[in-house]
Amino acid sequence: MCEYSGRLIAWLDRELPDQEGIDVESHVERCAECRTAVSAYEEVSSAFLSCYQSAMISPPRRHAAWRALVGVAAAAAIVAGILLVQPRLEKLPIRLPSPPHAPSMAFEKPVPPTPAISVRLRPAMAPAPPIHQPWIANEPVVEVSLPADALFPPGAVPQGFHYIADVHFQQ
Amino acid sequence: MSGDSLPLTLPLARFSAGDREATILFGELRKPLLRYLVCLGLSSDEAQDVVQDAFLRLHRHLSSGGAQDNIRSWLFRVAHNQARNRQNSYDRRFSARLDEAGAESIPDEATPERVLLEKEKLERLGNAIRTLPDAERECLLLRASGLRYREIGEVVGIATSTVADTVERAVKKLAEKCNV
Repeated sequence: MCEYSGRLIAWLDRELPDQEGIDVESHVERCAECRTAVSAYEEVSSAFLSCYQSAMISPPRRHAAWRALVGVAAAAAIVAGILLVQPRLEKLPIRLPSPPHAPSMAFEKPVPPTPAISVRLRPAMAPAPPIHQPWIANEPVVEVSLPADALFPPGAVPQGFHYIADVHFQQ
Repeated sequence: MSGDSLPLTLPLARFSAGDREATILFGELRKPLLRYLVCLGLSSDEAQDVVQDAFLRLHRHLSSGGAQDNIRSWLFRVAHNQARNRQNSYDRRFSARLDEAGAESIPDEATPERVLLEKEKLERLGNAIRTLPDAERECLLLRASGLRYREIGEVVGIATSTVADTVERAVKKLAEKCNV
């Protein structure tokens, strides 16, 4: 083993007195064994320093994994919520205000208000080909239910009459 | 390894008055102290507490007319002793953060083969660090913090020549076990 081998790390750390440092430096230039050793010490010191400088005050990784899991669960809950709520929103009827009832006459039999006719959308004709425009929904966005007595005079509502209004919002 | 550019003696005449020098000192040394304590095994919260307490002690030290030379090693020594007092976590988690940090030091643009090789090397390094005696690990951590051998000796309470021997022994062990 070279007699200088015990001072190589102190020389790398610039901890030797000036003249001693110069001696070691000139020796390392001539000694292949010491150059190899210096290279190894530099490499391991650099690896240690990289690890050390990366070690900061960040929380452990398992916390990051928990945060990711919670994020995925929250996203799944939001998607599920949207899927559950959307059909209800589509079926919500928009009821127009009924016209005010005429004052009842004494000789007239009071006519109970005609219930709102249920609205279902299925025309008898063949279904129209789908419109391939991504911004138009295939199903009606809003169904509007109109009470029959708003469209016909009292007593003139045909039996089994259904009125359907589909409202598409288009740009 | 060269030390930080921080001067060994700081102009702290007005430190107790909370003047600008105190802010500079805190800004310069807070992060190295935190990193050292975390690598010793303290949690982030514990490290923050220790650093805050160390600066409070420094304030009292200087207010009572204490010596102002080599404040850096003074602060590291206070922090080091407090970490040792928290012996449970100090022993159990020593160098664990170095293992965690190893993966972070691999550059993002590295190829998969390079990443694999780097991970194997870091694993060997982590295992080698764990086998070192406490004194050797402490000296290497303080050396990586940029402290000179004399300062390391003041922090851990040993002679400068002993620090040189300890550092040399530790580096040679790591190089041998990491096959570099």
